[in-house]
Order: sequence, then C-alpha cells, then structure tokens
Amino acid sequence: MRLLQRALRRSGLPLAYSQGYNPRLRLVLALPLPLGVTAGREFGELYLTEIVDLDYFVSSLSAQLPAGLRLVGASAVAAESPSLASLVVANRYRARLKLSEGKLVKPALIESAAIKLMAKEEILMPRSGKKKKHISCTNVRPYIFELQLNLDQGADPVLVMLLKAGSDGGVSPFFLLHKLAECEPDSGSETWQWLVERESLYMISNGALVPLAEGV
Amino acid sequence: MMVDVKLETILSKVQKPGRYIGNEWNCCLKEHDQVSLRMVLAFPDLYEVGMSNQGVKILYDSVNKDQDLLMERVFAPAVDMEEQLRLAGYPLFALESGKPLRAFDLIGFSLQYELSYTNVINMLDLAGIPLYSDQRSRDYPLIIGGGPCCFNPEPLAPFFDLFLLGESEEALPRLLKAVITHNQRGLAKQNILIELSNLKGVYVPSFYSPEYYSGSFSGLQKLEKQAPGSVEKNYVADLDSAPYPTAPLVPYIQTAHDRAVIEIFRGCSRGCRFCQAGYIFKPVRRRSAAKIAETARDLIASTGYDELSLSSLSSSDYPAIDELIKKVDEALIGKGVRCSLPSLRLDSYSVNLAENLHQGRRSSLTFAPEAATERLRKVIGKRISEAQIYRTLNDAVTAGWNGFKLYFMIGLPTEEERDVEAIAELCRELRRHFKRQGRPGIRFSVSVANFVPKAHSPFQWESQLRMPALISRQQLLIERFKKMPWVEFSWHDVETSFLEAVFARGDRRLAPLLEKAWQLGCRFDGWSENFSYSRWQQAFKELSIDPENYANHKFSYDDPLPWEHLNCGVEKELLICEHRLAFNGQFEKDVRNN
Repeated sequence: MRLLQRALRRSGLPLAYSQGYNPRLRLVLALPLPLGVTAGREFGELYLTEIVDLDYFVSSLSAQLPAGLRLVGASAVAAESPSLASLVVANRYRARLKLSEGKLVKPALIESAAIKLMAKEEILMPRSGKKKKHISCTNVRPYIFELQLNLDQGADPVLVMLLKAGSDGGVSPFFLLHKLAECEPDSGSETWQWLVERESLYMISNGALVPLAEGV
Repeated sequence: MMVDVKLETILSKVQKPGRYIGNEWNCCLKEHDQVSLRMVLAFPDLYEVGMSNQGVKILYDSVNKDQDLLMERVFAPAVDMEEQLRLAGYPLFALESGKPLRAFDLIGFSLQYELSYTNVINMLDLAGIPLYSDQRSRDYPLIIGGGPCCFNPEPLAPFFDLFLLGESEEALPRLLKAVITHNQRGLAKQNILIELSNLKGVYVPSFYSPEYYSGSFSGLQKLEKQAPGSVEKNYVADLDSAPYPTAPLVPYIQTAHDRAVIEIFRGCSRGCRFCQAGYIFKPVRRRSAAKIAETARDLIASTGYDELSLSSLSSSDYPAIDELIKKVDEALIGKGVRCSLPSLRLDSYSVNLAENLHQGRRSSLTFAPEAATERLRKVIGKRISEAQIYRTLNDAVTAGWNGFKLYFMIGLPTEEERDVEAIAELCRELRRHFKRQGRPGIRFSVSVANFVPKAHSPFQWESQLRMPALISRQQLLIERFKKMPWVEFSWHDVETSFLEAVFARGDRRLAPLLEKAWQLGCRFDGWSENFSYSRWQQAFKELSIDPENYANHKFSYDDPLPWEHLNCGVEKELLICEHRLAFNGQFEKDVRNN
C-alpha cells in the first residue's frame, strides 16, 4: 500500500486527496494481502482529479514500480459504481509444500490430513476483539468453499483453496494450513513449510462465483 | 538482490524478511568487477533503525556517486535471523548483491550508540571475520568505524583497523580513493594503515598504546612515529556544496523515521553542557533557503514521500525560518506533503512556527526543558526561565494545542530530590494554570531520561548518579505521577543508562569485556526485550572489572582522559570554563536564596 502510494506520488499523475487536516491519497485496494504472500493479480481503486488517457496512466505509473510489480491494466469506472471491496466475496490461494532436501513427506499423509480437515463440522478460529481479554471463536469450516490437493509425481504437493472473503467474515490460508498440520499430529507435520500465493479474487456475477478479472 | 534457494528458506522462517532483501526504490546496484573498491556500510542495529539514520543515506549517496566506488549495506540481523543464519551456516551478506561481507574490501560500521557495540562484534562473527584487528591479514576487509561514538571509540579500539573522525560525506570517498592507491601499490596492511593515518580524521588505534597507573588510565604512548599525536576531526565547510542525497533509498517496510529529511543546518549554538552533539558537531553551518527548497522538491519527486522533515539540532535557531517554511511550502504546493519541524526551542516564536506548519491539526507539541527548576537549568546551560515556559505553553494553548510532550533528565550534576520533585510540580502547576484560564483537560506526556556523562562535553568529568539513587528518583516520580492520571509518564531503564555511561567514557580494557558479554549472548542491548543485565554482570565479574569505576568515576581536570588524543575542535580550556560556569551558576543562586 505504502509502496503504491509512493509510486503514485512519484508518477506526477493528477491524484485526488481526501479533505481534512491530513490529506490522504484516495486509493483503496480490494482485500490487501499480508506481507510475505505472493499475489497473482490484485485490484485497486484510485481517484484522480481529472480524466487522463489510460495508456498514459499505465506508462506513468509503471515507470515508478519496482521490479516484481507490474501494472496489468487500468480502466475508468463511474464514480458511483460499487466499490471493489464490496464486490469481493471469495479468494483462491495456492499453497505449495516445500520439500526441503532429504526430508520427504509422504503424499498419503497430506491427503489424509486434508480429508480429516474437510470432514470436520467445526473449525474454530479465535478472533481477538479490540479489547484483548475478550476472545470469541468463529466456525470457519463453512468458509472453505473448495479444497483440492494436487499430488503430481516429481512435483511439490500443491493445495488449492477457495475461501470465503469479505467484510462479513473470511479465513486466512495460514490458519487453515496450521489446522491441516494439526490433523496429523506426531508425524512431523508441524515442520511443513508452505509457500502461499493468492491466485485470484472472486465476485458474484449472475449467481455464480467468477474471478474478478472477468466480472468487472 | 537475487535470493537463492537457501536464503529463501531462511527468510521464510523469520519474522520480517523485508529487512533482508534490499531492492528498495533508489537502491544502487553496481557490478563488483566494474569498480576499484567495494565497501559495505554496516549498521549495528535493525534495518528499521538504520534506514532512519540520515548519515547512512548521505554516505550511501556520496560514495556511490563515484563511478569507481561501490557501497552496499548491511544491518544487524534480528535475533531470529541470526539463529537461522547460524543454523544454515549462511554468512552475513550485503543487501545489494547478496554477497558475503568477506567479499568486500572494506566494512565501515556506523557507530551511533554505545549499546550497539555487541552487535558490531556479532556481525563480524556472522561474517566469518576474526574479531581483532591483529588477527586479520590483508586478505580480510579493512574494518573501519565512523559516527559520533568515534569521539571515544576506545572500548572498540582493538576490533577496528581505523576510525574516521567527524563528518564523512567528503572524507570517506577521499579515504577510499587512498585505499585504492595503496592497494595497487601492493602495500602490506601495516603500511597501508601508516599511509592512511596521514589523512585528516583517520585514527589507527593500534598505533597508540594506553598506559595505566594503579588502575586508572594514565596516558597514551604513540607506537608509530608517523601517526599524528592528536587526530583532528573532519567537517564539511559548506553544506550547500556538500553532497546530499536528492534520491535517497525508500524502504518497503515501515522504518522508525519513514519520511523525507532535509538537514537545514548542522551543529548547535546553544551549548547545553550535557550534550555531546552540541560540541562534536561544531561549528554551526547552514544550508541556504534556496538550496533547501530546491532539495525538498527533488526529494519528494524522487521518493514519493508524503512527509518532509526539516531537521537540525534546534530548528527554531535557523535564521528567518518562517521565510524558509514559506519557500518550502511554495515548492511543494498541491503535492499532499506535510512538513514537520523537530527539536523546537521553548519559546513563543516556535509556537508560531508550529502553528504555521500544522494548519488545523493540533495534537501535541514537544519541548525539552530538561530540568524543572531554574537553578538546575542554569547549571546545565539550558537558559529558559520559568516565565518563558509559561508564556510558551500559554501561546500554544491559545493557538489550539491541548497536549504537550516534555523531556526531562534526572541524575544531573548538583541535582537534589527537590529538583526531581519539581518535574511533577511543574506539570501540576501548569495544569492548574490552564484550568484557571478556562482550559481544563490539558494533558502532558513526560519522558525522563537518565543523565549520561559524555566525552567532549563540559560534563565529561562528572560521574553518573549511582544506580540506587537514580532508581529512587525515578520511583519518586512514578509515585507523584500516579496521582496525576492526565500525565503519561515514561522513563528510561537505569541499567541501560548505566552501561551507556560505562562505554561512553570507557577505555580499551573494556574490549575483552564486550567480547565476553557477546559470548554470553548479549545482543541488541538497547532493546528492552533483548537486554539482560545479569549477563553483563556476569561478564564484569568474570573479567574482574568494576563498571562503577567507569560510570560513577569523577575525573579531575588534571586526569588524562582516554579520549583526549581525539580532537573534536573544541579546546579543553573551553570545556573547563563551561564546567566551572555550571557550578558558579549554582553558587550565585544559592547565595541569593540564603
């Protein structure tokens, strides 16, 4: 977020700022990721003070982005259209189990852990309220829309998760991976290391879940 | 920096990988074989602290400007990262190229704070470099030090090949060029050091041997006849023409001071007697308003920061500063940039300034009266009257502020309990005063530090107040402020301040102690979550060193001081004169009271 704000300021584009004592750039990312998660394609909304040519916009901002971050595209939307954040209802993650040298994990073990996890009726996620003393738990099992394990020969095991997201609740892929490991205790599962990547955000269009890239 | 598979695994196990990957905006990448000398700037504290240091950014810019030189960076790895590096046998590496520190010609440590000394040792060890200068052949990088602690680097002396005294943005590139020349001549390390010791500001500790008489430092013997008897500091004559980074590094992770900074002047004309910075950064030099405005514009365009800090030791002392602010404002209009002005003097003029800067936003203003009684303020050379404090705060409250952050010190020379009590009393009186004025609810945040006598300040001869007394004075304030819930009170750890005092006026006998403490696990001693005083106590005990002989020692004017061969440009006579004046101030007042 900070990175984008600074890149935008450097770009010289006509940026809109919020009113008030402490003017802020009017930039919103749809469901920002925690640090350390790779992302496939992310979305954001930005307000400008005047209409600019889209190609000019893309080239001005691209020039200010560090390597590893690419502006895929930009489009103009009507100011009154619903916010991106309100559209996002789910997101898909891809977690790759890193097999460190000499430490092989039996595919069957991961498979059985995944089955056990999905068989649960309740997976409780503690949520610490603003007052630290108060901890409530949410059952996040219904938030797992899909969980798919790919065990290809010669490749690292990959877990694809389609998870609920949005302002009315969601679940972190890290929490689920932690719970997954707990399903096979005493098997060395606590040392499993996953590389997590978010593949896409989803919205509802005509009653079906579709990737945001296709829906908007 | 390219992250290899091994490092990727290491980074996946640490808390903040962003500290170790470099590649920040405006980062400088050069090929190692395209330059004649490769240096790494080592900052012995966390990335977030080091990247907030303006000196790091200035040197990075001034060295890398030269086509033939290369400077990369490394910061102290956090405890979790150290663990992973050691586990994997992965050597400490520089952020730009990812190359191990040993692959460089020279490593320069920025020495800002006494309690980062164990990190210096730890970083050398993690780099696989022998700790002591005399254990390192020419095949190892030269280990050099710079920064304010170099005005008494004696506790670190045996670990370093040389120290560069004073401001280095011009002197460091000069030194590096000289190293290139002597390297090309194929000189032995010892001879290279002899040659370098002729450069201004270069202090080669191994050319001097300290002597002790009945347990005290008694003088320094020069071993190398070509080395200077007294090492004179470097300083920049003209700030406008000195190198200053207009495209500084912009970190991705949040740092302590995450903003654009422009230094408006260097040095301080105030001369507070406890303050080392006021003396070692003399003389006062200004950057012109035109240059500042121009730099401000460039800085924002190249970094994208939304905040610009106009920094100095005492901002209100910049002549015609309102003119300056107007110029900077004009340069940044419409860019959504906030300006901040730290280190404000306690006077109405400063309130006016702050008012102009913070249109609308009135949270709290920060001032540093340092002592709460007029008598004690006279002793320490902080010439602000009680009336002035009231007037200033009054103006601020009228202008809309409703909170103040006040900095004080305890354990100051001649201080008595009533001086300490006066800190709480002052807050209470101010609160009452504002209540009478129809402004109840004025809040205070009071921060109390412990006095640490520093080399090259007029109080360098003074002792630190003994720990139990410091603790009881802190306790007194804790009790007083308990009854004042509208004061947020914070204080510094006494054990930390004690160690700071030990090393600030330490000598070379403390070097083995540092090594011992490091062996016992001391790291990041300035961080309360890592600091363990019991480890230090054990180190002192094992080496039979009594730390009180350092921290609580009172020197006389005739005593040789372990740092006297290092010249910061202030005559000893002047320091003695200031020291005497401090106590005269007190006598005058006392006579009147009687």
